[in-house]
Amino acid sequence: MSSDVVVDIQGLTKRFGPRTVFEDISFQVHRSEVVAVIGPSGAGKSTFIRCINYLHPFEAGRIRVLDHELVGGGGPPSKATLRQIRMQVGMAFQTFNLFPHLTALGNVMLGPMETKRVPASEARDKAMALLTSVGLADRAEAYPRRLSGGEQQRVAICRALAMDPEVMLFDEPTSMLDPEMVGEVLGTIRGLAAQGMTLILVTHEMQFAKEVADTVVVMADGRVVETGPARDVLEHPTSERSRTFLTRVLKPLEAAGDGQASGPGATTALGGDHP
Amino acid sequence: MSTLQLWGQYLPQFLAGLVVSLQLTGAALVLALALGTLLVLARTGRIRILAAIATGYVEVFRAVPVLVLLFTAYYSLAQLGLRLPGFWAGVVALGAFYGTLYGEDMRSGLQSVDPGQREAAVALGLSNGAVMRRVVLPQAFLAFLPPGTNELSNLIKDTSLVLTIGVTDLMFQANAAAAATFQPMDMFLLAGLVYFAFYILLSRILARWELNVQRRRS
Amino acid sequence: MHVVALYWQAIVDGGGVDLELTAIAVAVSVVVGILAAVGRIYGGKLLGGAITVYVEIIRGLPPILQLFIIYFGLSQFQINLSSFSAGLLWLVLYGVGYAVEIFRAGIEAVSVGQREAADALGLTRVQALRRIILPQAWMVMLPSLMTFLVLQVKNTTLLYLVGIADIMYQARLGTSATEQPAIMYGMAAIAYLIINLTLSRIGSTLERRQALYR
Ligand SMILES: Nc1ncnc2c1ncn2[C@@H]1O[C@H](COP(=O)(O)OP(=O)(O)O)[C@@H](O)[C@H]1O
Ligand SMILES: [Mg+2]
Repeated sequence: MSSDVVVDIQGLTKRFGPRTVFEDISFQVHRSEVVAVIGPSGAGKSTFIRCINYLHPFEAGRIRVLDHELVGGGGPPSKATLRQIRMQVGMAFQTFNLFPHLTALGNVMLGPMETKRVPASEARDKAMALLTSVGLADRAEAYPRRLSGGEQQRVAICRALAMDPEVMLFDEPTSMLDPEMVGEVLGTIRGLAAQGMTLILVTHEMQFAKEVADTVVVMADGRVVETGPARDVLEHPTSERSRTFLTRVLKPLEAAGDGQASGPGATTALGGDHP
Repeated sequence: MSTLQLWGQYLPQFLAGLVVSLQLTGAALVLALALGTLLVLARTGRIRILAAIATGYVEVFRAVPVLVLLFTAYYSLAQLGLRLPGFWAGVVALGAFYGTLYGEDMRSGLQSVDPGQREAAVALGLSNGAVMRRVVLPQAFLAFLPPGTNELSNLIKDTSLVLTIGVTDLMFQANAAAAATFQPMDMFLLAGLVYFAFYILLSRILARWELNVQRRRS
Repeated sequence: MHVVALYWQAIVDGGGVDLELTAIAVAVSVVVGILAAVGRIYGGKLLGGAITVYVEIIRGLPPILQLFIIYFGLSQFQINLSSFSAGLLWLVLYGVGYAVEIFRAGIEAVSVGQREAADALGLTRVQALRRIILPQAWMVMLPSLMTFLVLQVKNTTLLYLVGIADIMYQARLGTSATEQPAIMYGMAAIAYLIINLTLSRIGSTLERRQALYR
C-alpha cells in the first residue's frame, strides 16, 4: 500500500494568526487516485490544497510528496525541496491566473524553459501538443484577454501539465465559468483521470465528483468530517455534518431536473466561493 | 527688427540651449531611476532601518521645492566644501526629487500586479528571480509607463530652473535674448514654441510607445 | 547660530506671503476649474476644444517661462504689471489649468449609473452636479487636490524672480548679507517642509474622515 502513495499528509494544522483554519488533518493519496474535496464555503478547502505545494506555510504536521517532505512549524523548507515539490505538483486556480503579457503558447512554454532549461523549440512543440490535446491549437497565439473563461482554464491546465507533474491540484476550476463552459473544462479533467493522473480537486460539482472521483473528502468546521469512496459518501453520508451539507447542496441539484452537474442550473444554484 | 528676423537670428542659440536642457534631462532621469529603484528596494525589503530611512527621504524630498534643492546643491554644498558645477548641481537636485516620484510609481506598478500572478508562477516552480523577471516585472512595467512618462515631461520642464544658477539651458538663452533685444515677449514666445514642440513630440512618441507595448500584449 | 534667530522672522514673513498668494490663487482656480471642467465635459466641441488647448499649453510650458511671459513679456506691449499682480495672475492661470483636469477626472469617475439615476429623478444638470456628482467626486479628487495645493506652494518659490518677498527672496537676501547659504536655504527648506507636511497631514485626515462616511 505504502509504495504507491503519492501524497501523504499527517496531522496537518493551519492557522492564520490566531485563527485556526483546520487542525490535525491526515490522509493519503495513491497513484492514479482522484480525490474530490468538498465542503461549505470557508471550510478551508483552498487553504488545504495550497499547503500541498507550499503556497501556504503551515503550523504543524507534515506533507510528503513522493520523496520530498514538508514539515510544519520550523523554518521554511530548503529551496531544492520546494523546487522539486512544485515541479511535481501542478495547480490550476479558480481564477486561472494566466500571465496576461504572454500568449496561450507563451504561458504553457514558460515553466519548462525557466525551470528545466528546455530549449524553446522543444518547449514550443510540447506546448502545442498539449494545447492541441485540449482542442486549443488554433488559439495558441491568442493573449489571455482574448480567450473565454473556459479556454483560459484549459490553457492554465496545459501550463501546469507542461511540467510533467505527478499530481495535479485543482481549486474549484469551474466555479468562475459561465455554465456553458463548465463542461469543456470538466471534460479535460476527466481525460486526465482516464490517463491515470493523480488528481486532488476542490469542487462543488457533485455529479462530476460522483462519476470521476475515487475518494471524497468532506471538510467542515476546520476538520475532515468524512472521507471514503465517492459514491458511498455522496449517497449515504454517515456524519451529521456532511449530511446537512450534502442535502443543502444536492437539493437544488435535483430540483434543477436533469441531475447533470455541468448543467446550467447546477452551477448557478451551487455557486462557488468567489474570491 | 521684425519678430521673424529676430527668431531666425536667435534660433541656433536656442537650439544649443535645448541640447543642454536635454542633456540635463537625460542625466537627471538616469539618477532618478536609479534612486527610485533603491528606494523601492529599501521600502519593500526586510531591513527595517533602511525602510524607515527611505520613507523619511521620500517624505522630506517630496515636500521641499526643487528650487530649494537646487540652491542647496549649488550654494550650500559649496559652502560645506563640495563645489558642484551648475549642470551637475541641477542633475543632483532634479534626480533627488524625481527619484522619489519614480520610486512611488515603481512601487504602485509592482502593487498593481495581481497576487494570483506571483502565486501561479511560484506554483509552476519558478525561482524567485524568474518570478520577478518573467512574470511580475513585465506586468508592473506596463502599469509604470503612464505615470513614468508623465513624470518625464515634468522633468524636462523643471530643467528650466537651472536658469537661476547660470546654466546655459534653453530658458537661460531665452532670458539672455530677452534682455539683449528688449523684445522679451518675442523671445519668450520662441522659447515657448521650442519647449512646446518638444513637449508635443515627446508625448506623442511616448504615447505611441505605450500603445505599442499594450498592443503587443493583447 | 544667532544668524538663524536673526533671519527666521524674515523667513516666516516670506512664508506668510507665500501662503496668502497660494490661498487666493487656489480658491480662484478651484471655482474657475469646476466651471471649466463642466465646460469641457458638457460644453460641446468648440468650448471643450478651447479648454483642452489651454490645459495643454499650461502643462506644456515650463512654469518659469509662463511667469516671465506675464511679467517681462507683457511689458513689451507696455503692460506693466506689479510684481504681486503678475505673480498672482500666473498662479491663477497655472492653477486653473491643473484644476480643470482634476475636476474633469473626478466628475468622470462618478458612475454613469449615478448620472442616470439623477436624470431619472428629474434633476436638472446643475442640480445633479451639485447634489449627486460633485459630492461623490470630492472623495475621488481629494488626494489630487491636496497634491495640487502642495504644488502651488512649491510654485511660489519662483516668485522671488519677479521680486515678490517670499521665502526664497528672504533666503537669498539673507545669503548675500551673511554668506551662509547652507543656513539660509536650510531654513527655507524647513519652512517649506513645515507648510507642506502640515498640508499633507490635513489632507490625509480629511481623507480618513471622508472614508468613514462610505
Ligand atoms: N490569506 C489569508 N489570511 C487570513 N485568512 C485567510 C486567508 N486565506 C483564507 N483565510 C480564511 O481561512 C478560511 C478558509 O478559507 P478557504 O481555504 O478559502 O476556504 P474554502 O476554499 O473552503 O472556501 C476562511 O475563513 C478564510 O477567511
Ligand atoms: Mg476556496
